[in-house]
Amino acid sequence: MHNIKKTIFLSLLVSVGLALSIFETMIPLPFIAPGAKLGLSNIIILITLVVFGFTESLMVGVMKSITFTLATGSVSSLFYSLTGAVFSCIAMYLVYRNLSNIFSLIGVSIFGAVAHNFGQILVASLMMKNMKIFSYLPVLLLTGLFTGYFVGLTSIYISQNLKTHFKDIFPYGG
Amino acid sequence: MTKGDKILIASIIVLSILSLVYIKNIALSDGESYVSIQVDGDEIKKIIFDKKIIGKTIPIETEFGYNLVEIGDKRVRVIEADCPDQLDVKQGYISRPGEIIVCLPNKLVIEIKGIGDDGDGDVDYISH
Repeated sequence: MHNIKKTIFLSLLVSVGLALSIFETMIPLPFIAPGAKLGLSNIIILITLVVFGFTESLMVGVMKSITFTLATGSVSSLFYSLTGAVFSCIAMYLVYRNLSNIFSLIGVSIFGAVAHNFGQILVASLMMKNMKIFSYLPVLLLTGLFTGYFVGLTSIYISQNLKTHFKDIFPYGG
Repeated sequence: MTKGDKILIASIIVLSILSLVYIKNIALSDGESYVSIQVDGDEIKKIIFDKKIIGKTIPIETEFGYNLVEIGDKRVRVIEADCPDQLDVKQGYISRPGEIIVCLPNKLVIEIKGIGDDGDGDVDYISH
C-alpha cells in the first residue's frame, strides 16, 4: 500500500514538473539574457530530493525531461534538458547531504542552478565543438542566482507543508 | 537563508562579474577582424569586413536549417532564421572579436575573430 502511494505521488510530481516546464515556455523573458529560464521544474526535483531521496529525484528529473521532449517534440533539447537535470540533481544531492548545516534549501537550489547551467553549456560546447560558448556562463550564472533563490524559497515552504500534511507517505516520517 | 547562503550568493555574483569583465577585456582586443560562420563545428565561410559589402546578406542553408546573415559596418547579425525560438535574430548585432551568435537548432555559430588569431579558438579562458 505504501509503495503504491509513493509511486502515485512520484508520478504526480513528474506531471506537475512537466506542467511547470510547459507553463514556463509561455512566459517570455526578453529583459534577461537569451536562453535563461526560470527553472520552475527545479522546485519539483528539489522537493523530491528533500522528501524522498536521491534515486527518486533523479528518476523524477529524467522522467520530466523525457516527457517534456514528448510534449514539445524538440529532440535536440532532450540532451540539454537531460544533462542539466542530472547535473543539478547530483549537485543538489551532494550539497544537501554533506553541507546542509551550512546551506539552507536556497543554497542547495543555487548549487543546482549553477550545475544545471554548467551542464547545458558543456553539452552546447561539445555539440558545437566551440569552447567559447563558455563565455556565456557568467551571464547564465547571474540569472540562475535569482531564479535559484526563488526556487529554494518556494521549496522551503512546499516541503514544510508536505511534511505536516502528508506525514504517512514519507519514508522519513517528516 | 543561512550565513552560508549569503556567502555563496555574494561569491557567485563577484565571480561572474569578474569573469564578465575579463571576457570583455579579451574581446576588446584591437586589430582587424573577420566573421567566421560555422555549421556543426566546421567553418563554412570567412568574411573579412569591407566597405563594399556593407548591407550584404548571406543565406546559410544547410541540412540543419536556414539562416540569413547580414553584414553591417564592422558588425554582423542574423535577420532571418527558421528556428522556433529566434534567439539568434533577437540577439542583434555583434561587433567585437570573441563575440558569438549561436543558433542551437541549426547548429550555426557566427563568430567574430581577430586576424592573427590561431583561428581555432582552443584557448578556453574561463571555463575553470
